[in-house]
Amino acid sequence: MRVLVVEDEPTLAEQLREALAAAGYAVDLADNGRDAHFAGDVESYDAVVLDLGLPKMDGLTVLKHWRTAGRTMPVLILTARDGWHEKVAGIDAGADDYLTKPFHMEELLARLRALIRRAAGHASAELVCGPLVLDTRRSRATVDGRALALTSHEFRLLAYLMHRPGQVVSRSELVEHIYAQDFDRDSNTIEVFVARLRKKLPPELIETVRGLGYRLACPAG
Amino acid sequence: MKAVAGRMKRWRNSLRLRLLAGTLVWIVVAVLAAGWGLSSLFNKHVSRQFDAELGTHLDQLAANLVFDEAQTLRLRAPLSDPRLARPLSGLYWQVDRMGAAGEPETVALLRSRSLWDAVLAVPPDALADGEMHVHHVRGPNDEPLRMIEQVLRPAEYPDQALRLIVAATEDLISEPVARFNDLLGFALGALSLGLIGAVVVQVRTAWMPLERLREGLAQVHDGRNAAIEGRFPSEIQPLVDEFNGVLARNAEIVVRARTQAGNLAHAIKTPLAVLANAANRDDSALARVVVEQVALAQLQVDHHLARARAAAAVQIPGQRTAIRPVMEALVRVMERVHVERGVQITVGDFPETTAFRGETQDLQEMLGNLLDNAYKWASSRVDVKVAARNGDLVVTVEDDGRGLDASVREIVLERGVRTDEQRPGSGLGLAIVRDLALLYGGDIALDASPRGGLRASLRLPRA
Repeated sequence: MRVLVVEDEPTLAEQLREALAAAGYAVDLADNGRDAHFAGDVESYDAVVLDLGLPKMDGLTVLKHWRTAGRTMPVLILTARDGWHEKVAGIDAGADDYLTKPFHMEELLARLRALIRRAAGHASAELVCGPLVLDTRRSRATVDGRALALTSHEFRLLAYLMHRPGQVVSRSELVEHIYAQDFDRDSNTIEVFVARLRKKLPPELIETVRGLGYRLACPAG
Repeated sequence: MKAVAGRMKRWRNSLRLRLLAGTLVWIVVAVLAAGWGLSSLFNKHVSRQFDAELGTHLDQLAANLVFDEAQTLRLRAPLSDPRLARPLSGLYWQVDRMGAAGEPETVALLRSRSLWDAVLAVPPDALADGEMHVHHVRGPNDEPLRMIEQVLRPAEYPDQALRLIVAATEDLISEPVARFNDLLGFALGALSLGLIGAVVVQVRTAWMPLERLREGLAQVHDGRNAAIEGRFPSEIQPLVDEFNGVLARNAEIVVRARTQAGNLAHAIKTPLAVLANAANRDDSALARVVVEQVALAQLQVDHHLARARAAAAVQIPGQRTAIRPVMEALVRVMERVHVERGVQITVGDFPETTAFRGETQDLQEMLGNLLDNAYKWASSRVDVKVAARNGDLVVTVEDDGRGLDASVREIVLERGVRTDEQRPGSGLGLAIVRDLALLYGGDIALDASPRGGLRASLRLPRA
């Protein structure tokens, strides 16, 4: 899962990055509206944390641009002004939720998890695929109740697939959602991650669809 | 007496009545003066014409007087005007012989046939030769006569002084003058009526913009309009512009105060967020103090910012906010943000035109906090009703949560405490609603909903 954090206050941005990374997200940072607008347009994010008071281009404008351009990723707006006026404007511009500063980091994580889950069409915080269960609140995966020991990249890859069971996910799509922007990307490494995951998971859970990508095949029931 | 005094006062205070009365007095005076002037001018003209006619008759008489062989004075030919031959026709002549002392020696030496056997009596006066005098006398029928006399000495007998008199009834003057006066009176009467009508119409027309201005002001006062609309005559437009300017400036001051409060919020809350987040990751005694104090600071900032915002919401006339769009926007926010809660919201039907006499953001603030609060506590549903009651409107928000104890309800409104630390929010929500409602002359009451939860009834002025 890859998240864009748009916040112009460097300390808060860093705190957000650390907290989100610790929760298993790949995190990109933008400290102004224009960069955020560009990043949201060309990169694929699973969610965006967007501060409204931004230099160069304000958060609402950025959000409206994204929505007009057909970008549908869930957006959580951060606002220091706790008037309803701004919340209404934010939601009407296409935001999915808002948080008023100062906020508890746990609350932000919970809201973000809920947004991503909802965007993928899941009602529960736990994603289930046969014996495999992904607890989005704890960033943990279990098979038959046994916790899996996963690296952050492996977890992100698995979480992305778990949010889209039965769908074919291309290798480039996985690259987009697993790495942060400044990471040295190589689509070949996806194969390495998939191979490692397969070893930790029950057999034939991750199918290879030749020429297209991968698919999570959940046994019925 | 009181009624009369009241009417007098209204007269003095009404520009329109003053203007009307002044113009009417002026028209009456002007028309009377014109009537008098014209009438006397005409009178003078007719009299002069009359005298000229009498003069012509006198000249004709003088030209026709001859002495025959017996030295008797007679007329060479009868005078041309037939009235002189008709008895008592009103036009007469007479010739007297004058004595040496200027006294009439022989009265009525000759006279017109119209005089019959009457004699024209001339008031005594000393008349030089050739001089012409005008007299007013009584005629044979006792009618008023206008008479001219002249003393002539015939060339043949310069020792003889003859007094030639021509008289005519004054009816010949007074009749046309009376006819003229009638006509003049009618014409001037019609003119005055026309002028008065024009003045009334004009005053009313001139007053129409003022009436519109009054209506515009009333609309602003009732909150039906934010400014006085429409174009006014150039004498009134500056007034309207100034007034609208004051309204706009007031609104601007509120916006500026809001923006400043918002900027302050932004400037303080971001560092507070940073501090709180940093401290939360640590377990030292210092971190605990920081977490505790940051929470306290946050509460204080929220509290004072809310008060500052509310204080900025002074009652500016002309504010009007329709309830429906604000309600719909807030319901959209609630449904989006609280989608996980699975709460069903029902907003009872109310007229499109229902409006709050106040500012949009304040209404958003009050309704937003009420709805948010209800959503947080509801277990499955929130019911909203909007009703008009007398001059007020009442918004009722109910939830089916576990409600609040009667003892807690007042505290919640008074100081804005958080009754549940687990739920997000500063806990000031209801206190802010109450502050704002009181500023607008409204109020909020909390009681138990029949559904089990809390019922908040917000009363606000209706526009």
